[in-house]
Amino acid sequence: MLDLLYAGASLSFNLHALTLTTLGILGGLIIGVLPGLGPLMGIVLLLPLAFHLPPIPAMGMLIAIYIGGSAGGSISAILLRVPGTPLAAATLFDGFPMAQKGRAQDAVGLAMTSSAVGGLVGGLVLVFLSPLLAKFALRFAPPEYFAMAVLGVLTIALVSEGSALKGLLAGGLGLFLSMIGTDEFTNAYRFTLDSFRLSSGPHLVAVVVGLFALSEVFFQIQTGNLLARPNVQRLKVTFSALKILARHKVNLFRSSMIGTFFGAIPGAGGDVSAFISYATAKKLARAEEKYGEGAEGGVVATEAANNACCGGALIPTLSLGIPGDASTAVLMGALILLGFFPGPDLFRDHPDVAGGIFIAYLMGNAILLLLGTLLAPVFGSVLIVRKAWLLPAVLLLSTLGTYALQSSVFDLWVMLAFGLIGYIMRRAGYPLAPLIIGMILGSTMESNLRRSLLLSQDGLMIFVERPISALILLIDLVLLVAIVYSTVRSSRPSGAGKEVAALP
Amino acid sequence: MKRLFVLATAVWLASSSVHAEFPERNIENIYPWGPGATMSASQIIADAMGQELGVNVSVVSTPGAAGTKAFLTALDKPADGYTIIDGYVAPLVLQPMLGKADWTYNDFTPLWAATSNSFAIAVRKDDDRFADFRALIAHAKDNPGKLRYSPGVTDALPHMVAAKVMQTSDVVAQVVPYPEIDNAVKDLRGGILDFVVINPGVYTTNKDELRVLAVLSDLEDASKTYGGAPLVGSFDVDLGMTGLAPMGWNWWLIHKDTPADVAAKLQDSMGKAVARDEVKQKLLDMGYVPLGYGPDKYKEVVAPVAADLKSGIDAIAWEKDKLKSTK
Repeated sequence: MLDLLYAGASLSFNLHALTLTTLGILGGLIIGVLPGLGPLMGIVLLLPLAFHLPPIPAMGMLIAIYIGGSAGGSISAILLRVPGTPLAAATLFDGFPMAQKGRAQDAVGLAMTSSAVGGLVGGLVLVFLSPLLAKFALRFAPPEYFAMAVLGVLTIALVSEGSALKGLLAGGLGLFLSMIGTDEFTNAYRFTLDSFRLSSGPHLVAVVVGLFALSEVFFQIQTGNLLARPNVQRLKVTFSALKILARHKVNLFRSSMIGTFFGAIPGAGGDVSAFISYATAKKLARAEEKYGEGAEGGVVATEAANNACCGGALIPTLSLGIPGDASTAVLMGALILLGFFPGPDLFRDHPDVAGGIFIAYLMGNAILLLLGTLLAPVFGSVLIVRKAWLLPAVLLLSTLGTYALQSSVFDLWVMLAFGLIGYIMRRAGYPLAPLIIGMILGSTMESNLRRSLLLSQDGLMIFVERPISALILLIDLVLLVAIVYSTVRSSRPSGAGKEVAALP
Repeated sequence: MKRLFVLATAVWLASSSVHAEFPERNIENIYPWGPGATMSASQIIADAMGQELGVNVSVVSTPGAAGTKAFLTALDKPADGYTIIDGYVAPLVLQPMLGKADWTYNDFTPLWAATSNSFAIAVRKDDDRFADFRALIAHAKDNPGKLRYSPGVTDALPHMVAAKVMQTSDVVAQVVPYPEIDNAVKDLRGGILDFVVINPGVYTTNKDELRVLAVLSDLEDASKTYGGAPLVGSFDVDLGMTGLAPMGWNWWLIHKDTPADVAAKLQDSMGKAVARDEVKQKLLDMGYVPLGYGPDKYKEVVAPVAADLKSGIDAIAWEKDKLKSTK
């Protein structure tokens, strides 16, 4: 693999490629910050420009948008409790409380550095373990996807500890939402209310923006103090985030590996890797770290995972020609348009291009580390603005971003409806994140269960005959027993007073 | 004063619309499938067309409801020429025939035909059960309903053509739908599927791992896009469909109420774009054959295809019944 990097070095280390990668990171960060717009939209917008550039600078720019966009969503999650992308919905668990405690710059800095280091770990795995992980991904078939999706759904109980029942109810609503649309097995319409606009279900991003951004705007208006000057920590460029990050190195490495793994399995739901990584970090943390109340480890776990996921998703895209997610599908299309077909051919016939893409990915993350640190005070300064100005701006940006998804006014109604649903849920003490997890994983779980049964010539036995599926289902079972046991135990009278606040 | 202002605004708007030359802003091509190799083929044409028009033509992936969501989304927008429908045969002709859409191909103004691609039946390169297409059919005959295959989504063109081939050969295999054919290919390579129905884009990215047993077309040129693999007819299997009928193809369309001068400008720019040598070569390199039919050929080409597809729809119904009887 080092020979690939060597071959790609001359194409990557030049002013043209470096400038475009830097601009890509910057553009990605801005697009990620805006609610609704995510890395996918950024890549699609700049695709026409990329065709007129040499291949490596073009791919470098697009990959940089992918990286920056995935990291940028955390900034608005931390500062405003508005996740810029669904990827960042888990970051607000601890990022927002950190900012509320006056540590906005630390939280943004930590998110940026965790993202960059997570991305670099994902990149190193991409460079050195691509063939191995690609082969492993081939062993993931519908039974394994089903078992993984069950694992993801079970994390709902973990991330909503203290109100597991409410969490599961919210998750159930999410599972229901995932059923709306066209059934991919019979092409029948389900719960579409005879409207073609619901033929692929409500758009996930419109739901996320509504649930989090709009409900937050409603809450802030209700709270009042719209003209008060917020109290914000002194903002200046420091590298203190790196020092904080060093204290969480085990969490950082573990979360990066979780993110890379979920990214490397095409269609496994990379969006939820941040939730799973967060749930794992929370379970393994000491009680005094107080996850959910501004724990540094919470930001590290989610951000390292979701950016490592980008490196992971490039593994099947480049090695197998099978995109890991929607963003990498567009990246793959761009590579084809530039005249290179991903897959083994790319490594054999164009090692310079394959190596150049690897370097572009690593370089993008290095630039993110630098830019993220330098810009953290700039982003943090948003909180100096009075609510009377900030809230209309959030509303405007949310509306613009959601409309831009499909140029659809219907998406705006979906956003508004889920803003109200989110507000009501929060008033009633229901956590919002499980709804998103349920919505993302519901279709993965259902379609892979049905697909497995079609593939099986032995009914349900397909789930236990395949070793990886059997192992994951065993983990599911152990986790389920543990959750039920701890729920029963905490519901006894002696444990009733230990209710922990529900997560956002 | 107020009335004067309204009048002045109306005059200004009217004059600006008279003087404004189409296009003043970017144009969207509503593409009915998820992103991937096939979307890149539309992107190549969109890019060239954008250069002809002097604005950006972006390809917007709007998957859902077997491609009809894209049509409905586009039809819901103003008929001003700023929205183009990437008219794939499945939502344009097949879905209305299945009763899933209420338009006919006559309800649109055609621009130019874009590309066509044939489909092919492929297995793992190292699968020694199937030396050739005859061996696959023989195996399926001995094990009714036991082989598992995926044409990607069901009730679309690749599924229809595969069902037709199986009906003609009187064999049946378990169909397993996948929303993206890429994931079906992954599961073929992982050993859980026995064969897949692919397009040339998928073949090009996976040719080291796949072996094409039969190209589902009667056109000699189709074989070239699969590295010279044999046509299904060479195994004495009558496809029952000819020319474009068993192929995937797309014809770019606009709303019927689009002003004639705008339609003419779009037709002219697309005609120039698809006639460019570099555009044709890029498409051919990806395995997509530029069709080169102008708007005047639309009805002449599409009408017979629609008639031919009926036998394919019957084949899907036959497959469902046959699968039930094997359980």
